[in-house]
Amino acid sequence: MQHSRVIDIVKENKDVFTLRFDSNLDASPGQFLMIWSPGGKEIPMSLSSTSNPTTITFRTFGETTKTISLLKTGDRFYYRGPYGNSYPKPTGKVAYIAGGTGLASLNAMLLKYQGDVYVGARTKEDLFLLRDGYKITTDDGSAGNKGTVIDLFLPHANEYDYVFVCGPEQMVKNLIDRVDKKTRAKIYISLERLMKCGIGICDSCSINGIRVCKDGTIFSMDEVLKMSEFGLYKRNEAGKIELFVNGKR
Amino acid sequence: MASISTKIGNFSLENPVILASGILDETSGSILRALKSGAGAAVTKSIGMQERKGYPTPVISEIKTGLLNAVGLANPGIDNFVDEYKNFPEKKRTIVSIFGGSVEDFVTLARKVEGAGFDKVELNLSCPHVSGVGSEVGEDLEMVEEIISSIKTKTNLQVWAKLTPNVTDIVALAKASEKADAYVLINTLRAIGVEIYSRKFSLSNVVGGYSGPGIKPVALRAVYDVYKETGKDIVGVGGITTWEDAIEFFLLGARAVQVGTALLYEDYPIYNKISRGIEGYLDSEGFSKLGDIVGVMSGNAALQSH
Repeated sequence: MQHSRVIDIVKENKDVFTLRFDSNLDASPGQFLMIWSPGGKEIPMSLSSTSNPTTITFRTFGETTKTISLLKTGDRFYYRGPYGNSYPKPTGKVAYIAGGTGLASLNAMLLKYQGDVYVGARTKEDLFLLRDGYKITTDDGSAGNKGTVIDLFLPHANEYDYVFVCGPEQMVKNLIDRVDKKTRAKIYISLERLMKCGIGICDSCSINGIRVCKDGTIFSMDEVLKMSEFGLYKRNEAGKIELFVNGKR
Repeated sequence: MASISTKIGNFSLENPVILASGILDETSGSILRALKSGAGAAVTKSIGMQERKGYPTPVISEIKTGLLNAVGLANPGIDNFVDEYKNFPEKKRTIVSIFGGSVEDFVTLARKVEGAGFDKVELNLSCPHVSGVGSEVGEDLEMVEEIISSIKTKTNLQVWAKLTPNVTDIVALAKASEKADAYVLINTLRAIGVEIYSRKFSLSNVVGGYSGPGIKPVALRAVYDVYKETGKDIVGVGGITTWEDAIEFFLLGARAVQVGTALLYEDYPIYNKISRGIEGYLDSEGFSKLGDIVGVMSGNAALQSH
């Protein structure tokens, strides 16, 4: 277990925070850490900046994230990693597609490679890390277009050489089901699954024998298309196969 | 080229390197991947009567000499397991690990495993970090004996008994398990990890199991003692990360080995790497088959003509 000192924590919106910490991590955009709240749980979290100071950006959804969000400047921040692969280096015209807290992971890329950014959220209040020019959709129309970020993106797919995607599995499924498979864009997707170990041995995050934590988290669209369980089934903490409850962003 | 094929009970394997229970074997997709990557066989994560979430994270902690884990026997339960493996193509090369809290549990699980088309079970008599099952059962000699004889009487399964090293006398435990077709030696050692700056335990369950390179000498000792006393088929497991490690186990009496934690260091290519290394060693040392070196250092010539 490593630890660093917290530089500061910025509140991005009602429940999203960015924690800056002092580290000399050698990490690349797309990689993640296993964050530990001592005495509590350990959870995976993408780096939202891999240059010093390194940052994580996260939504508080449980005890661990809540505890982390309450850390103060100078407090110790515990983690293992960085783990997982990273986004490939793009050339040409680049697009980013983010849903949920996916923009956190993509933000680390955006700091290095410019591109058009498509962001989907439930409501205006769920948006975070926005900069001028981002193309926004919300489920309720409270900001940007009303609808899904995939609807907004698809008509433009062929304009890009590289597309980087991070968001809920149903959003990704919506994209890969509908996008022209012959598009010239090289599409790379960061996947998220229930993860326990983060280092490729517990099998909790595997999809058709592919480990999200170690073989990914970033896969080409072709690799994701080969995963017959993707978007349809997930596994619970016991490893039992469960159907996805359909929902999309 | 020397032959590395081997036999455990009535099970013939083309190569003696097996995926150990507990590592990358919760999902059928990962079992297939291990087999396709060169494992001679694979053991599933331990399956119990009911769906079980396991412990909260952290469930693993890496240390210099290996790995601590307290996953907590997370498993989908036998019925969901059977469902997932309905059309599984590699049932003969897959050994289903089962755990229970009573003789009845073990028999029920074994029958369901057999009903699902598998023909081998590994009895988890040794998980060191869950109360009421695993090694709490595995340390009760009479119960172990009854579990094994009941399964042997009531099913046609090959039974591998995975024994705990967390006992004073592993030979006594082995003798209580002698109706099994093979012994699997050893499971993890009961252990604790400490984080000194937060002054908290590394694992949520506090106590976990220690695996990896650091436990190899302990496993070797168990194989040596049990082979000398019983001469039975042994699958060696504990800290094997190289082909040289595997050879050490064979010399002391193991007929096959299991590799788990080493996946952390070398990932799937490790199976072929160890198999090729064993072949190379047999060739260069002038042996024609793996059986020629099994138990040669355990000093009982009579036991060597298996």
